[in-house]
Amino acid sequence: MTSHDLLILCAAGMLVSGYLIVGQKRLFTTIRLFALQSLLLGIVAATIAVTQSRHELFVTAGITIAMKSILIPWFLMRLIDRIGIHREIEPFLNVPVSLLVCLGLTVVGYRVSTGFPEAVGGARHHLIGVALSMLLIGMFLMVTRKKAITQILALLTVENAVFLVAVGVTPGMPLVVELGIAFDVIVAVLVLGIMVQRIVDRFDSMDVSRLSQLKG
Amino acid sequence: MNLLLWTLGVPLVTAALGSLGGSRRIREITMVGGLLATFALCVATALDFLGGAVPSAFDEALRVDGLSALVLVLCGFVGLLSGAYGVGYLRRNEERKIVTPRMRREFYGLIPAYVFAMLLVAMSNNLGILWIAVELTTLGSVFLITFHDKDTSLEAGWKFLVLGSLGLAFALLGTVLLFAAGQGHLGEGMAALNWTRFIEVASSLHPFTLRLGVVFALIGYGTKAGLAPMHTWKPDAYREAPSPAGVLMAVGMLNAAFYCLLRIHLISTAALGPEFSGDLLLGLGLFSVLIATPFILIQWNLKRLLAYSSIEHVGIMAVGIGLGGEAGAFGALLHMTYHSLAKPVAFFSAGTLGQLHSSSNFDRIGSGTFSRAPVASGLLVLATLMVTGSPPFGLFFSEMTILKAGFAGSHVRVTATFLAALVILFCGFIFQVGRLVLGPPRDPKDRRVPRPEQFDIATVTALVAGLVAIVSAFYLPGWMLGLIRAATRVLMGGA
Repeated sequence: MTSHDLLILCAAGMLVSGYLIVGQKRLFTTIRLFALQSLLLGIVAATIAVTQSRHELFVTAGITIAMKSILIPWFLMRLIDRIGIHREIEPFLNVPVSLLVCLGLTVVGYRVSTGFPEAVGGARHHLIGVALSMLLIGMFLMVTRKKAITQILALLTVENAVFLVAVGVTPGMPLVVELGIAFDVIVAVLVLGIMVQRIVDRFDSMDVSRLSQLKG
Repeated sequence: MNLLLWTLGVPLVTAALGSLGGSRRIREITMVGGLLATFALCVATALDFLGGAVPSAFDEALRVDGLSALVLVLCGFVGLLSGAYGVGYLRRNEERKIVTPRMRREFYGLIPAYVFAMLLVAMSNNLGILWIAVELTTLGSVFLITFHDKDTSLEAGWKFLVLGSLGLAFALLGTVLLFAAGQGHLGEGMAALNWTRFIEVASSLHPFTLRLGVVFALIGYGTKAGLAPMHTWKPDAYREAPSPAGVLMAVGMLNAAFYCLLRIHLISTAALGPEFSGDLLLGLGLFSVLIATPFILIQWNLKRLLAYSSIEHVGIMAVGIGLGGEAGAFGALLHMTYHSLAKPVAFFSAGTLGQLHSSSNFDRIGSGTFSRAPVASGLLVLATLMVTGSPPFGLFFSEMTILKAGFAGSHVRVTATFLAALVILFCGFIFQVGRLVLGPPRDPKDRRVPRPEQFDIATVTALVAGLVAIVSAFYLPGWMLGLIRAATRVLMGGA
């Protein structure tokens, strides 16, 4: 298997895990799927680092795997355990329809990706196509789900998509900036976790569709 | 040591001291003193710039040009006002016995930290650092919005956090795409993300990637600025945040986010001409002004009214930039300046009225507040006249400048719609505030009679802010006008 194939395989895996998150109602499974997605993102970064000898991408890969596929999933799982809510309730759109919408979003993502200068059909083209599709899927997930945890996962999916663009299209973001962004993401997840805890303490539920007092 | 590092260091140290603890008096003096020193350092930096220097640090990752200097001074001023008013605000809450140790720690720590993040936004030349600083303001805001720990504040905080984080993810994607558009031209290392570098190599940026990046970045930072249709967090957040923090968000964060929009707009202008991002800003701005109109007419809460007014004003600034030309740019920056001077007065009087009546809902405050709280009501009327753009106050001049730029240019129909919306907003806002302030005083037998108005440091701060706003309409100091002109030159592509 060439590195080219490996890149495409990982990118495809990320897209598939995005679909599985949409189709899954057990929160533990969705978190594991997110961890898998982040692991694949780390492998993509490491592969590019090896093949194009861009060694600073090893740092990106390391940060991604440590943070997004170990630390954040562990934190979210502990949060769910403490709260004791394990399933997503019926989303605003049912699963088959959601998956069909995501299919449409993938087509849109790939269509937009053809405008990039990277050779059409190459590995980079797939990376951008997958990234834009995941971006749209993440946004879709955010508006159709009711559980606060699922919304956090949707946000993190969007963030993974942004990082996929960053490793796939750019010659590597400057290291200081990368560290700053990584730090901000982890703090954001902590703050989101604190907020979930407070919402659950207050409303005995993390169903965000109950947060509807403020209007007009 | 470098002036810029001092300007950033002082609020950061103030925040650290404030969150550590100590007696109330020490904390109050530390916060107000620290913010006063910060404001002085901002002015010093601006004067240094006007003297011909280009203050910079860390390999130009931080760099102050005309636009940065203007935003620095405005944010520093608002930070100082917010801190001084905040001291009084917290004292009043202490008297009502609703302050917990957590609140004290968060209050004295977060307000200077927030000022630090805003100043970092205003002076960062590096698009990566810019993003990080904006993210810091978001995280700080969440704790300020949920400060009072009520059901509604948790709701507002959650909505803000989710929408703000999504916007920031967009802004990050935009930044990454801009970086990708300059592949091979921007060079290596940290300086590759410098805004100045982008402007230098603008003509060789890849057009498609750049366009996509500009759209994502404008939507992302537009969410933070509160441009419609990404504005929905704003009314909730402004209502729930304590008034001193509301001012920081409504003026400081708005200016900082608008500053980001301008930087992206300038890269796009240098590479693609002014139409692409200009038209996008014009569309978003006009939509914001139009969206604000019905909600101001039917509003039921004073602070939400101010939030819609702030959506209107960021819309006006975006329209000014979108209409283009030197007049539009100058008008937008003048508008930013006068808005930063007028909005705090509105927030301070609304905050005082809200505290006196334990709510900022119109039905709880009731009519005829003038007889109960003459100072706060008088300031509210003054602020209303200012933020609706009545002559002779400053916002009248800036709105006229923008309208003139619009009618002289090619967007006559857009400008006409814009003008019509402004007129309706003017009437709606005056109607709402008039209903509140004038009218028959409340029945003395009403059991919900509010506390009497006090004269304390918060009142003094509000009066000073009002005085500064009035004077500024007739006399802007020469250096302030110089800053606005210098910022306009930056927007017109100069140095």
